[in-house]
Amino acid sequence: MLATEFRATPSAMSRRLTVPAHWLPRALREHAFALVAVVLLMVAGIAAPALFKPDNLANMALQFVPLGIVVVGQMLVILVRGLDLSVSSVMATSAVMATAFSGRDRDLFWIVPLAVGMGATVGLINGWLVTKRKVSPFLATLATMIVLQGARNAWTQGAPSGNVPPLLRTLGAGMTAGLPNNAVVLLLIAAFTFVLLHRSAFGRRIYLVGGSPEAARLVGIAVDRVTIVAYALSGMFATLAGLLLSGYVSVVDNWVGKNFELDSIVAAVIGGIALSGGKGGVAGALLGAVILVVLSNAVVIVGLPIHFQLVMKGFIIVLAAALYVAKSKGTR
Amino acid sequence: MNATTWNTQVPDGRAPARPQRVAGWLKGHERVATVIALLLLLLAVGAFVSDRFSGLTNLQNVYEQSVGLALVSLGQSAVILSGGIDLSVGSQISLLSVLTSGLIDGNAARVGPVVCAILCLGTLIGAANGLLTVWLRVHPLIVTLGTGAALQGLTLLYSSDAAGSVPATFEYFAYGRILGLPAGATATLIVFLLVAFFLRGTRPGRYLYAVGGDPNAATLLGLPTRRVLVSVYAFSGLCAATTALYVVSRFGVGQPYTGANYTLASITPVVIGGTMLAGGKGGVMGTLLGVYLMSLLNNLLNFMDISSHYQLVIQGVIVVIAVATFTGRRSHRA
Repeated sequence: MLATEFRATPSAMSRRLTVPAHWLPRALREHAFALVAVVLLMVAGIAAPALFKPDNLANMALQFVPLGIVVVGQMLVILVRGLDLSVSSVMATSAVMATAFSGRDRDLFWIVPLAVGMGATVGLINGWLVTKRKVSPFLATLATMIVLQGARNAWTQGAPSGNVPPLLRTLGAGMTAGLPNNAVVLLLIAAFTFVLLHRSAFGRRIYLVGGSPEAARLVGIAVDRVTIVAYALSGMFATLAGLLLSGYVSVVDNWVGKNFELDSIVAAVIGGIALSGGKGGVAGALLGAVILVVLSNAVVIVGLPIHFQLVMKGFIIVLAAALYVAKSKGTR
Repeated sequence: MNATTWNTQVPDGRAPARPQRVAGWLKGHERVATVIALLLLLLAVGAFVSDRFSGLTNLQNVYEQSVGLALVSLGQSAVILSGGIDLSVGSQISLLSVLTSGLIDGNAARVGPVVCAILCLGTLIGAANGLLTVWLRVHPLIVTLGTGAALQGLTLLYSSDAAGSVPATFEYFAYGRILGLPAGATATLIVFLLVAFFLRGTRPGRYLYAVGGDPNAATLLGLPTRRVLVSVYAFSGLCAATTALYVVSRFGVGQPYTGANYTLASITPVVIGGTMLAGGKGGVMGTLLGVYLMSLLNNLLNFMDISSHYQLVIQGVIVVIAVATFTGRRSHRA
């Protein structure tokens, strides 16, 4: 159902053959919504010049990094025709884990492997449910999200306490020479994913599995394994984002990373990651995240109530998805 | 059913035919039978945990408190039967419940108009979901994820805390009795029976199954696929509105996050009750049994003094087990 509704794009390959050398127009078409959003950003910048002041830019950069990390993972899952709603719960759980020890830097030796292991486990469970048990991705990840949320609340008795290790705070909230420290983590993850997708055989398999699972199976690709790895990576990336975010907020509650599942999907859709799978890349995903962060920030700067952000995101995801569906129908 | 007519050579006829009739019924209703077996198992376990659990008073409480979940799951069943999903029901319930108590604001004279307005608004919101999926050709998952976020945002814009109040008479929906039976729960049961009849026995009801089974084939056959889809989402919105009214009736006030857990909770009974997530197969009576099962389970967990956090864990695990067990054989993804 999901597949048939979203489908209907000629492969990127055949389009490249029909429109040779016109990379700019193609890029324009590929990122139609991103362009609309850039125009929106300019309007916002004119309406509220404070948006692009250095202070606010730095602030937005700090907020952008955790979202960027999550979006890259979400993109991998969407590329294999999935959806990961559990990222926000994974983030909150890893943030709670960050405060579970004595709050000194040496605890990170325990915190990071434990948290990443937790994220990977959740991802593996998601992937296993989706591939081996044929559970629809949204339901599998919604259920793991709820289970994790309940487990976290039960463990913390609803009120987490404890301190975030200082190193995590420096990494998550500090700036060096006008650049956010947490960007290092994002750069590493983005570079890793870029190489994985575009310079490795595994990356080709991800695109093939997303483009056509049947074809992928017929040429001998272990479709299930590729899919499971995508979910596991998404879980691990969400963990790292959660740890950074715990350093950013420094006072951890049970809801660190709230709404990140929605935000990451919205950003991915803005960034041209096709929900039908097999189309999109790291650059698009990050661009989508930038646009979403700036737009959300603009809501506050312009003086609208903060809850308007949620309304805006809801509209954006439906509109963006509609634009891409219409576009792919039109170019057929 | 044929089995009974074949047995005419037996003089009395009835006694030997009976097991066969049960076996025949079981063949088509394995899932319903499973749920009934699970219900009985829960009752047995419950009797072991506490002697008050299986008492009539407690069972009546469970019946009474299942209304909210039953109504929202009824709408969800219809949507899932049509091959879609409605992830916005939780936000709809939050918005509509806050609006209900906020607009009534303790004024008994406003109850009638506000209730009508809320029911209309719920239907409209649902219809908007349906129109968006049909017009924009975006998968309902994404549409309702988006509208769900937008509605939650609107709820918080309207009020970020409990809003208003309702007069005491408003409690009737949740706590009223007719002939000693809980009024709301009994009305809900009747509504389920009516919807079950509508789905099985009327033309539009059969359309729903056709559209859910294969929308392209349904369109080729000349069925009003789009109209069916829009009506289904509108119905889900109406159901969410009645759930919102129930929630306000039960707790006396609407809260901006009151519906949050209903999204997953409304899908659980549908899946347990044997409706296929791919659409086109299943029915609402299975859902109702699923609702009773989940309500009884929550009640039992309360008796066992298990915190609500673990109840959430258990609920999630049950969904996973239910879906993983029952959809494992499906060949293509949803």
